[in-house]
Amino acid sequence: MTSAILGPPADTVGEPSTGRAPRRRRSARPRNTLTPGAGLGLGIAMIWFSLLVLIPLIAIIVTAGEGGWDAYFQVLRSDQTWAAVTLTVSQAAIVTVINIVVGTIIAWVLVRDQFVGKSLLNIIIDVPFALPTIVAGLVLLSLYGPESPLGLEWANTERAVMLALAFVTLPFIVRTVQPVLEELDADVEEAAASLGATRGTIVRRIILPSLTPAIAAGAALSFARAISEYGSLVLLSGNLPFRTEVVSVRVLTFIENGNTQSAAALASVMLAVALVVIVGLDIAQRRVANRG
Amino acid sequence: MSIDVTGVTKTFGDFVALDNVNVSLPTGQLTALLGPSGGGKSTLLRIIAGLDTADTGTVSIEGVNATKLPPQKRNVGFVFQHYAVFKHMTVAKNVAFGLEIRKRPKDEVAARVDELLKLVHLSQFSHRLPSQLSGGQRQRMALARALAVEPTVLLLDEPFGALDAKVRKELREWLRRLHDEVAVTTVFVTHDQEEALEVADEIVVINEGRVEQVGSPDQLYDEPANDFVMGFLGEVTNLGPMTLRPHDIEVSTAPLLAGAVEGTVSRVVRIGFEVRLSVLTVDGQEVMVVLTRTHSRSLGLVEATTVWLTPATGAVVIPSMRPALVG
Repeated sequence: MTSAILGPPADTVGEPSTGRAPRRRRSARPRNTLTPGAGLGLGIAMIWFSLLVLIPLIAIIVTAGEGGWDAYFQVLRSDQTWAAVTLTVSQAAIVTVINIVVGTIIAWVLVRDQFVGKSLLNIIIDVPFALPTIVAGLVLLSLYGPESPLGLEWANTERAVMLALAFVTLPFIVRTVQPVLEELDADVEEAAASLGATRGTIVRRIILPSLTPAIAAGAALSFARAISEYGSLVLLSGNLPFRTEVVSVRVLTFIENGNTQSAAALASVMLAVALVVIVGLDIAQRRVANRG
Repeated sequence: MSIDVTGVTKTFGDFVALDNVNVSLPTGQLTALLGPSGGGKSTLLRIIAGLDTADTGTVSIEGVNATKLPPQKRNVGFVFQHYAVFKHMTVAKNVAFGLEIRKRPKDEVAARVDELLKLVHLSQFSHRLPSQLSGGQRQRMALARALAVEPTVLLLDEPFGALDAKVRKELREWLRRLHDEVAVTTVFVTHDQEEALEVADEIVVINEGRVEQVGSPDQLYDEPANDFVMGFLGEVTNLGPMTLRPHDIEVSTAPLLAGAVEGTVSRVVRIGFEVRLSVLTVDGQEVMVVLTRTHSRSLGLVEATTVWLTPATGAVVIPSMRPALVG
């Protein structure tokens, strides 16, 4: 996923008249071309990744499978759990779509427009991300909770969940799109303009396709963060079963009740959802970026 | 006249990029805007294309006042130094871009793209991405893209500036042939006097925001309007109170002609077939002389030889404007 936001491949310089790509030679060398230094690096990366991610993940899947398929489906068949899963995934999806639009606009404003307070806004963007999540919850509660100064009493509703998720995931797309937008060459847009393209056409056919990989990467991060969010929404949402209870709260309840196997089963489902979405976004991004 | 620029001035803050520029570029010709970096030639080209706006003055293209027109409406093709390719589109899609947004029928677009790719010798690369092409290929693609919309004028901003010397030479010869083939009014910006002399029908020399001289390559070389033009189009040296080209100085080892300047050879550098001499005259002036290897050998020139220098018959000579070097 991160490879998608890297720059374009390096320029290939060669003769203009004999433009055939160099023929790939298949040598007798073994395919492993690691130098000792690179081998050490790869080893450290793999050990760290295994300790931190791979082994715990496998442990969860093993725990989830301990009770056999029956116990596994029992957890998911519970209406309360299913409600939590649908609420979490649907709100995360809504928030991600909002972020795709708003985050791209904010990045655009930060890169292309000149206004008073721009550098301040540039710093503040990260606040929702840097703030301890429970503090984020408090901030939202003071504005949208009971006795809201705005008259928006959204506490204990689905909107509270969406609001909290939108708050904590705001910076992701802004921060992935911003550097790519900064790197775009002005002369590419000028070339399109001199070919007769209107501003709208330039944005749609030249700028957006260049931003798509970054938007997709940011969307994946944003979605992944949203489905796992806990701290910022517990205060505002009220954790009402069937209404505002999200998966992470449900998992915590399972654990508090000593039901580790159910917690693991639910966790494995969310793992699958995250994987599907990340892969899906990557495929979508490739399609859009190649469409032109 | 295809492009008429009248009284154009452009400033960036305190910097005056163009200072009351008036120039007319004829239809169907290949014109070079030649000058040192930062002299304002690229700014002039961008103002003609509508990518920059002039502070004062007017631009008209084919008799239409284009001063207030956006770049989309000027029907100019523009080629950038760094190619400005649409990275995410194939070569064919890049070339087709201008036609597609004009909503031309699909088969017409495909036929035109085919024809243009053939013209720029990129037919076999039509499905590649620009990142898979070399610099020279990318610039040819950019040229095909600009030509696709049948522009009234084609503007090229240092088109070969980012390429290596050999490719640059090949491409400029190719550009000349291409221009003879498609005969669209073409203006290109360059700081390379050799490129301008070789390719252009007409050269506009621009320096410090002003037009120094307009003329054919021969006119500019043989009748430079001032010592800047003379100096910019080739090497110059001072012999007594005159400025002239180093290869236009006759060297003899005996005082044969009246008025010959006596001096001593202080340095001899040989580069291939040519020999460059530094001659220190008796007045203390350092004169540069270029002659062929054969000529130099026949005169037996080595360091510390005493020589007499005279301007060759038919040499372009203008009064030196740098008094510090005289006497």
